[in-house]
This record gives sequence, structure tokens and C-alpha cells, in this order.
Amino acid sequence: MDNPVETIGIASARIARLAAIGVMLCAVAPALTAIALGVLLEPIGDATWGRLGYALAPGRGAALSLALIGAGIAALAAGLVVAYREYRRAGNFVAAAAELDERLGCDQEIVTLATLADPSAPESSRGRRTPLFPILWRRAIALFSGLDVRREFRLEVGKPLRRSSIFAGAVALAMVLATLGLVRAPTPENTEGAKLRAIAEEIARTSTSPDDSALAAKIREAANALENSKLPPEEKKARIEEAMRQADKAAQKRNNSQSGKNQGTGKSNAQNGNGKSQGQGNSAGSGSGEGKSATGSGQNMGGKSSGSGKGANGNNSGRNESGKGSAKDDKNNQRKGDQANLELHDELAKAEALVETANAKNPGADNQPGDDKNQGGANKPGDKPDQKGGSQPDANRPGSIPKPGANGERNIPAAGGNPKNNKDMGSNLGDTHLGEMPTSRNAQRFLKPGEKGATLGIKDARYVMFRLPGAASSGNSGKTVLDTDRPTATTGYVNAPLAPTSDDAPPDERQLVPPRYRDMIR
Amino acid sequence: MGAAPQQASPDQRVADFRKIFSRAESEVARVIVGHREVVRKTLTALFCGGHVLIEGVPGLGKTLMVKAASEALGLSFKRIQFTPDLMPSDIIGTQVLTESDGHREFQFKPGPIFAHMVLGDEINRATPKTQSAVLEAMEEHQVTVFGTTYVLDPPYIVLATQNPIELEGTYPLPEAQMDRFIFKVVMGSPRPDELREILNRTTGTAQTRIQPLFEPSRAPRAIEDLKALVREVMVAEPLERYIISVIGGCTPGGPGAIPEVSQYLRFGPSPRGAQALILCAKVNALLAGRVSVSYDDIDDAIVPCLRHRLLLNFQAEAESVSSESILEQVIKRLKKPRT
Repeated sequence: MDNPVETIGIASARIARLAAIGVMLCAVAPALTAIALGVLLEPIGDATWGRLGYALAPGRGAALSLALIGAGIAALAAGLVVAYREYRRAGNFVAAAAELDERLGCDQEIVTLATLADPSAPESSRGRRTPLFPILWRRAIALFSGLDVRREFRLEVGKPLRRSSIFAGAVALAMVLATLGLVRAPTPENTEGAKLRAIAEEIARTSTSPDDSALAAKIREAANALENSKLPPEEKKARIEEAMRQADKAAQKRNNSQSGKNQGTGKSNAQNGNGKSQGQGNSAGSGSGEGKSATGSGQNMGGKSSGSGKGANGNNSGRNESGKGSAKDDKNNQRKGDQANLELHDELAKAEALVETANAKNPGADNQPGDDKNQGGANKPGDKPDQKGGSQPDANRPGSIPKPGANGERNIPAAGGNPKNNKDMGSNLGDTHLGEMPTSRNAQRFLKPGEKGATLGIKDARYVMFRLPGAASSGNSGKTVLDTDRPTATTGYVNAPLAPTSDDAPPDERQLVPPRYRDMIR
Repeated sequence: MGAAPQQASPDQRVADFRKIFSRAESEVARVIVGHREVVRKTLTALFCGGHVLIEGVPGLGKTLMVKAASEALGLSFKRIQFTPDLMPSDIIGTQVLTESDGHREFQFKPGPIFAHMVLGDEINRATPKTQSAVLEAMEEHQVTVFGTTYVLDPPYIVLATQNPIELEGTYPLPEAQMDRFIFKVVMGSPRPDELREILNRTTGTAQTRIQPLFEPSRAPRAIEDLKALVREVMVAEPLERYIISVIGGCTPGGPGAIPEVSQYLRFGPSPRGAQALILCAKVNALLAGRVSVSYDDIDDAIVPCLRHRLLLNFQAEAESVSSESILEQVIKRLKKPRT
């Protein structure tokens, strides 16, 4: 090319393009990483913290996901803006000449030529030329003779990608830190709510009738109610039972519509409260069973539990972990819809059991002050000495002084229950690894004189909590009056006995006595 | 150098410049051993149209060098020994009463300043009054006596020497006068091999004769053409900005001034410093065979052009910080603009 100005122009355009591409490459990786993390946050959570038993609150998870996607889009937009600015900047004619100077090892000859032959300011640049300008022009032509601009200015992907990967790593790190800050151990209610929501999504996805859509909505409502700590338990239960009824209704309709094709249709009917499950089958007969629900209200308190667990319908008794109900299987009825229905019933039953458990553990939590007659008063020892399941009063409740003889194995995990339910998933059961204060779960209690209980070991106890009886208060007149409201103990409390001393040892062996006193003892 | 430079092609002129410069250096080197940098800067100043302040102890060959350069270029040479009792009229010249054809009239008798190359030896020994008499000649290339202005024939260059020792009874050059010198070059002591060569040349019988490059009648014109060629060398805008940033960087409180500048300097270089930088860089470019200035040409000129224009403060003198070290820091830290 004979015109060095054209060569500089071509180089300028190429440098500008490469600069813009480089900037975009820098921005693309972190942006795509952020967007991908935002979109895949749920599967990532299932594969990582979900496996460890932690979860993101649905609202926070969605917010984090949105934030990541937004950040990715913002990074892309910023990359576009910066790339455009870089394109404009790098497209400078004189700057391109300076770049050529460096590449060709010239001593600012090209940049001088560019200054004196800048197409953007032809008049001013021409005015600065001297009689020596032709020498410079010829020199530039000679320098550009073997120059291939495309080969000289190649697209280098490595450097921007390396830089980009650093940014992408930073985005991923930010996501990890954010999730570390937001992730929580889910409560059983959260877990159950998530399961119900998943079932609702599945039903909504495969819905073929308005009933299915209504059922999905009911299940979602039940899940929301289950997780809503402000709702009273009755309301929660009502929602769950409503969902159950809707599920039954939908299942019945489906079974009726397919009764002609099938040999028999099982009618599942889960009943609340007694743990019985009944199943009726047109062809396979009916079955009944009595199950001990793993989600029974006594579960977390250790010991046997019974009572409030729900058995699933008879034709799926083998699948129901919480029930022992037996029913004849109607193999013809094992369709996908029925399985989903069974699963739904199972989960709804668990949810209801959770509500009952929570209600039983904290009777005052139903937002009806006054219902709990024990509120504010000490439990009388021996009131319910054998109560191990069901509605146990919260021993840490104000005024609830632990009583001897009851719940001896309170701290012993339930042997027969679902181990999952024994985990303290961030609940108020006293584990302090999430910064919660200890509750009665870790507290030791006193024994009555002569009572033989489990060996008390306070060696590993983190806290020892005492409750002292209130002092007698004086009235307005200055007279000392008895505080009749204060909690009073009806049974004398003593400390747990110390380790027994060996009485057969001589007195001086029992306790070391200074030698000068030994004669006195003898 | 045969062809008239103005009629020659640009390439020829550039080639002639390099050849003349190189031959002048060689001719001076026939009588001056070593001090190549001082010789080069002296010739550079001549082609830039500036003046040189040479600092060095007595006996290093300052006078001989200037005399040799003038002989090599075919220019006239005068030497003025500055003393405390030297009067301005002793330098510039004076009116003398002459009689011709029965008429008496005052006739101007030019002083030693009327020469192409003037060596002002130990200029700091003269009084400020006498020193300032040289100012007009250096800057305006003319002198005024009794209201009559006399133009000094071009090329005109003053080479003043200063003795860094024996400062008692001297009058240090004022800053205004220092600024008029394009360079300050420092002549150091010769190395042992150079000293041996000096002894061989000056204590034997051999006579060294300098071959003039130009006939005395043609020399001024030829030198002026070469000076014009220097000014035709082109400078890119980014390099001009670099020079400006150098000046700003050396000025306390100036844009881009480094901390050392603000700490150790009272005053920085004037715009004359920037002019000196560009002219010197242009000569450097021509000597490198280029018609455009590079960053290296500028960096090479910074210390000799600016070292005497920086006014150190008391702290710098107390800590023995030199202006050269500050300038080197400035060169190191300044970023060279690309556009």
C-alpha cells in the first residue's frame, strides 16, 4: 500500500474492533456466570446445601436469583457501554499510529506522520508540515511495505478471558458468600411446605381439568399456611384439611371416570387422629390397619408416640412409612395419578401432624391467651408422670418448673422414630450451633429424694439454669404480705446425690486429715 | 561540503548535517582528548542558536576546545577573561575619537563580543553590571552603544565558563542570566588514559592542525542553513505534550509535579527550558538520521537543558540533593503520552 495514511486508518479500525471485542470478552464471562447461577440457583442448591439439610427461604432464594440475573444483565450492559467507549478511544488515528510505532520499532516516526497527516484535521496538520515531510512519508511507506495489519493485530482471546475468569470467579464467590449468609437450616414446616409446593407444581404442570388446578392452588395455600408462623394452628389445619378434601374429590372423580377400564378403583380415605387407615377397593376388597406415625406429635419428645399420625389409604400402605396399616393392593389402580395422590395425602398428613406437634409443644402459641391453664404456674410434680408423647408442656415456658419423675428420658432421642425428625433443624429445640439460646432440651433437672433416674452428668452441660421462687412482695401499706401468685413447690427438691462414698474405709482414709489432728480424731 | 544547502534535496541536507557535525567533532577531537559529550553539546548549542555554560576546574581545556571548534567551523573566535574590574565597555566596545580628512569624529570600536564564538572565561568573576552587559548580546544578538545598535553577525554563540571552586570574591550568575544558556555542561577530570594521551600530544614536538570545514567567508551562511534545517525537524503532538509535562513536572506545584520537586525546588524551568528541549531534541533526531523527534531524543536533552534552570531550596542543599537526580526521577516517573 502506497499511502501510509490509509494503512494507519485500517490499523486504527482494527485496533478499535479488537479493543471492543476484548472488553466484551472481559464482561461476557462474569455476566453469563451470574445469569447462569441465577437461573440454576435452585438445582445448585439442591445439589449442595440442600444435601446438607439447609435451604434458602423461598423469598430470599428468589431474590438472590433475581439479583444474580440482574447483575449479569447489568454486567452485559456495562460491558457494551465500555466496549463502545473503548472502540471510540482505540479508534483514534494518532493512537493507532503510536501502536504501529511500537510494533514496528520506530522512533515515533509514524506518530509524527499521523500528527501531520491526520484526516480528521487536514488543514491544521498540513500547516505544520516542513520541507522534510517527504522524507517522513517515504520512510513510513518503507516501514509499511511488509506490514499485514490483520496479522500484526490479531485477536488475542487469552488475556481478556483470563481477566474475565477472575471477574467470573468473583461473581461466583459473591454468590457463595450471599448464599452462606442467606442459607438456613429449614424447619420441618419449611421442608414439608417445600414438598407440598413441589407436588402442587407437578399437579399444575400436568393438570387436565379445573379440579386439578384448584387442587394445586389449595395445596399451595396449605403450604403457605404451614410456613406462616403467624397463623393459628386451627387455621393451618383447616387449610390442610381443605386441601385433603380437594385431593379426595379429585381422586374420586378420576377414579370414577376410569372405573370402566379398570378392574377396581381404590378409594383412599385418610382419617385424622387415630392412625387408622382404611382402604376400599371394588375388586380387591378393603383393608384396615393401625399405624404409628413417624410424624406423630410424640415423636420429638422421645419414647413411643401414637395418636395423631395419619395413615395413608389402604392400597399404598406399604409405601407409607408412618403407618402400619394393611390393605390389599389393587394392582390395577396403581397409576401415576393415584401414586401422586397417595404421595400428596402422605405429605398433607405429615403437614397436619407437624401442626399438631407444634401446637402440642407450645399450647400457648395458638394466640389464645387463657387457654393454657398452666401458663404462669408451676407444674405440679406427678401431674402427668407417664406422659411421654402428645401434648407436652414446654418445660422452658415461663412458670414451668421441671418436675421430678416426668420425662425421664426427655433428652434421649427417640429410638423408633424417623431420625430426620430428631434433628434440630434450626428450630427452638436448643441447639446453639446457629446461635440460638439453649432451651429446656439441654437442661438437667433435679430428682426427688430416693428417686432413681438416669445418671446426671453436668460435665458436658453448657448452661445450668435455675429458677428461684419469687420473693414476698410488700403491699402499698408497707405491710409484708404473702405473694400468693408466686410459684410454689409442693414437693421438696434436693440436689442429685453425689457419688456414693465408701463407708468401709477408715475415717482417716475418707478424708485427709492433717497429722496434728489425727490424734484428736482417734 | 560543496552544494549550497538550500538548493539541495531534503535528504541531502540531512546527510550534510550529519556529516558536518561528525567532522566537526572529529576535528575538535584532534586537539581535545575526551570530553566528547561536552564537544557534542557545544556543537549542538551552536546549531540550536543557543549559548553554553561550561562548568569545570581550570586546566581542563575549555578554552582550547572552544577555539578548536571555531577553527573547525571556520568561525571567528574571541575570548574574554572576566575579572572584577572588567567594565561593560571593555566587552561591548566604545566610541573613540578619530580624525580623518581634518574632521574629528567618534568612531565605534567593537569589543571582543563581536565574534561568532565568544568565550567568557570565569564569567562569575565579573560584577553583575558587566555580566548584564552580555545579556543583551546573548539574547538579542545585538548591542547598543550611545544609542546606536550594532547587530552581531550570525552565527553567534557565547560559551561561558565557571569555576566551581574559589567562589570567594565571585558574583554568582543571576537566575535570569542562567536561563539564557541553553545548556550547562560539566567538564570532568580526564581519565588516566585520556590524561596520558593529553601528555603525549602537548609535551611532544608534534603539532596538530585543524582542517576547517568551511572557508571563513562561507562558514556563517553554511552554519545558518544548518540551523534552519534543525528547525525543520518535525515534532508530533504527543511529544510536545510530553515536553510540556516535563516542564510541569519540574515546577513545584505544577501539574504532575513529583513529590521530590515540591520538596527540594524553589523554582522550576521557564518556557525557555521547553524551547531548549525541543531544539536539542531536534538536533539529536538529525544526528540519528531522522527528521522527526523521538522520546529518546527528548530524554537525552532533559538533564543538560534543565539542570541549571532548577533552583534548589535550602533543604536540597542541606541534603546534598542535586538537580540532576531530581530530573532523573522526573524522567523515570513521567508517562509518555500516546495520543
